[in-house]
Amino acid sequence: MSTGQPIPSGRGSPPSPSAIRPFHLPPVRSDRLGNGLAVRSMARTEVPLVSIALVLDVGEAPVPAGREGIAVFAGDGLQGGTARRSGVELAEGLERLGSDLRVATGWDATTVAFTCLAERLDEMLALLSEVVREPAFPQDEVERIRRQRLADLHRRRMEPARLADDELLREMVPDGQPYGRPLLGTPASVESLDAEGVRAFVEERYGPVRGGLVAVGDLSEERVADLAARHFGEWGKQANDRADLSRHRESGGRKLVLVNRPGAVQSELRVGHLGPPRGTSQEDALRVANSILGGAFTSRLNLRLREERGFTYGVRSRLSLRRDGGTFTIGTSVDTGVTAEALAETMEVFDRFVQSGPSEEEVTQARDYLAGVFPLRMETTAQLAARLAELLVFDLPDDHHHTYRDRIRGVDAEAAGEAAAAHLRPDRAVMLVVGDAERVAGELEQAGLGELKVRDP
Amino acid sequence: MLSIAFQTHVLANGLTVVLAPDRSVPVVAVNLWYAVGSRNEPPGRTGFAHLFEHMMFQGSANVEKGGHFELVERAGGSLNATTWFDRTNYFETVPSHQLDLALWLESDRMGWLLPAMTQEKLDNQIDVVRNERRQRYDNQPYGDWDERIQAMVYPPDHPYHHTVIGSMEDIGSATLEAVEEFFLTYYRPNNAVLTLAGDFEPEAALARVEHYFGGIDPGPDLPPLPGRADLPERIGEPVRERVEAEVPLPRTYLAVRIPSLTDPDFPVADVASSVLAEGRGSRLYRRLVRGERLANDVLAFAFPLTTGRSLMVGWVTGFPESDPDELEHAFERELEALSDVRDEEVERALALAETGLLRQVEQLSSRADLLSMYQTHFGDAGRLNGELDRLRGVTSGRIRAFAENLLAPDNRALLTYIPSEAS
Repeated sequence: MSTGQPIPSGRGSPPSPSAIRPFHLPPVRSDRLGNGLAVRSMARTEVPLVSIALVLDVGEAPVPAGREGIAVFAGDGLQGGTARRSGVELAEGLERLGSDLRVATGWDATTVAFTCLAERLDEMLALLSEVVREPAFPQDEVERIRRQRLADLHRRRMEPARLADDELLREMVPDGQPYGRPLLGTPASVESLDAEGVRAFVEERYGPVRGGLVAVGDLSEERVADLAARHFGEWGKQANDRADLSRHRESGGRKLVLVNRPGAVQSELRVGHLGPPRGTSQEDALRVANSILGGAFTSRLNLRLREERGFTYGVRSRLSLRRDGGTFTIGTSVDTGVTAEALAETMEVFDRFVQSGPSEEEVTQARDYLAGVFPLRMETTAQLAARLAELLVFDLPDDHHHTYRDRIRGVDAEAAGEAAAAHLRPDRAVMLVVGDAERVAGELEQAGLGELKVRDP
Repeated sequence: MLSIAFQTHVLANGLTVVLAPDRSVPVVAVNLWYAVGSRNEPPGRTGFAHLFEHMMFQGSANVEKGGHFELVERAGGSLNATTWFDRTNYFETVPSHQLDLALWLESDRMGWLLPAMTQEKLDNQIDVVRNERRQRYDNQPYGDWDERIQAMVYPPDHPYHHTVIGSMEDIGSATLEAVEEFFLTYYRPNNAVLTLAGDFEPEAALARVEHYFGGIDPGPDLPPLPGRADLPERIGEPVRERVEAEVPLPRTYLAVRIPSLTDPDFPVADVASSVLAEGRGSRLYRRLVRGERLANDVLAFAFPLTTGRSLMVGWVTGFPESDPDELEHAFERELEALSDVRDEEVERALALAETGLLRQVEQLSSRADLLSMYQTHFGDAGRLNGELDRLRGVTSGRIRAFAENLLAPDNRALLTYIPSEAS
């Protein structure tokens, strides 16, 4: 094989960076309406767009047994129309303004967001206010949504990656604790939801207290405060309690589970355990540690499993830190024939990382990466609005994002190693495989990873 | 309404450079399009363009295996690459003081990839890509839809007959000799467009581009595409396929041949797709999801392809108990009904397109990618600024004509997945 044209001299090493130009995140302006609704705004005038996020203190985590999925259901149902217009009329009204509403319900909050041309903001806010304050939940829409959610739950069981995510939660979270089931609910709970129940839930839970309106884009901050007061100032307060879920943070012991999926050509691997909540004191150091172990492309796990061994298209680890506790998970999918070997290597990399910690070199690299990509993730008005919404969901200080890069740059190898040792727990990890038991059970039993439990999905 | 400032230069070796400065944040997007994709693969080498893209991350004369990712991540940048039918793109977004690093990395592999190629690296990436195929296609409900649809819409000798990922067998038979040949044929400066968008001073940036890329030898004229690109405008007869598979819900895919991206009528297909299925105000959502409650979800989009005829694809997903006949009939009925499209529906689609395009150019990486796309396929990056006007030129009358001509039964490929007993 030829090697192409001759290699010129002088190209041998990477060029040095030029002088750095500072990145300034515009300041956050903070207001509060008389009814308690927080307002956060940031001016970004480069593009004639505005992104809005309305945060409601309505999550799935505190939903009691038997009604799982009702917060998600209510969020979806907002699109079903209001006291003044049908769902079809609502959709047409929004889309003729070139926008739509994205309702996202998570464990901790419901966020209703949109992006529109700045000149259409007033009209869009009027629609948003109508949608969250006067939702109708007509019977036929409730039935439609219920049927679609049931179909979605059925679909999750047949997509290997979703199935593995759900099965991991089930194994990882002790019964009765939050976060242990699909966010959407269970087939039985979704089946039991009706229009009356959803209306009552919204009546009791939706409101301005502990919620907020976020606005980012081509706007003046004074105008945001005025618009917020005009469209949400009269919103009456809702029930003012928040469930305390903080006692639910215990992981079970280490275990190995195989969920049988006959005929699968790949095995989905998951390793995970419960972790600390958002806002924990070692959070930044833990994020650096996670980046080194499995968060970045050049992480230890990806380099070993993908670039050295060719076992997988990719492997990632992820921290999901929530209000009342979080999870740490490693996820990948591998060729069926290497299932046990890939899981054993994953655990070996995980164990060793936690035992001996990261090197100074790795920490420098991860720090530079995390601090460097920060401006790239704060580029659009929608990204920024999502970040400001986090401030409200997790009660973070207004300058949380402004100080992020300095905090990350302050993490050294010792701090990252300590955070890993404190919060990453291979000794308590659930190791879960979704794959063809006939082909992989034998090897998994022999892999020295512990006693294997095999079951159906 | 869009007015993105840019300038275009061509280096002596044929590399086209598009510079779109924007000093508002200290970030720069570097985006490199090579005009080569799966359409250039001859029989027996399906999937090679994509496998080659993986090899571009295995180091070059002055860069270690994995060094590309490591150096960019360390610089605080993000990066990736994608392979598609007509092109392969490589991109980094970096803090602007690291622009030189991105240019050095991209030029090193454009000029001097081959000294770093080894059998071991090729074997490793063949394994990685085979796992990518398993993960995305073989172990996924509906995972083979595009393989089936492409074969239904394009004849065996058309470059779009096969998928980008290719067959397991062809992926496994790739050789280092083929890597060399492919590189020397297609990965040449005269077959590439380099776009920078973001924080730089154009004159200085052009000098840096010249410094890193100027010494790379141009390549020969490109060989003709394998097979035959020209096609009748319609498929010519209704094409039907039903597949029993391990899928959770029945789903009907529809595909039709549409004009190429470079045809003045392409925007009509684009807007028609939006009228049909973009958003809750779209026809399929209003009528099939909300009205008749036949469908769980709906989708339609026009692929921006250039070789012969492009492709419009849509789907309607049913419920476990849905009757596949009913899904297909409902879908086809809505295609027929599109000939009564109203002006308000077109206005709705255009309003969504306007916000959508602004949101795309808001992000430097996608702004750079769009400029590369227009430069590669039209020889004019500035077409981006006229895109909204072209969309606004789509009227209900043009959509009606499109529906009557190209959504007719003899241009429809329908593929329906039916859950097998086991699922």
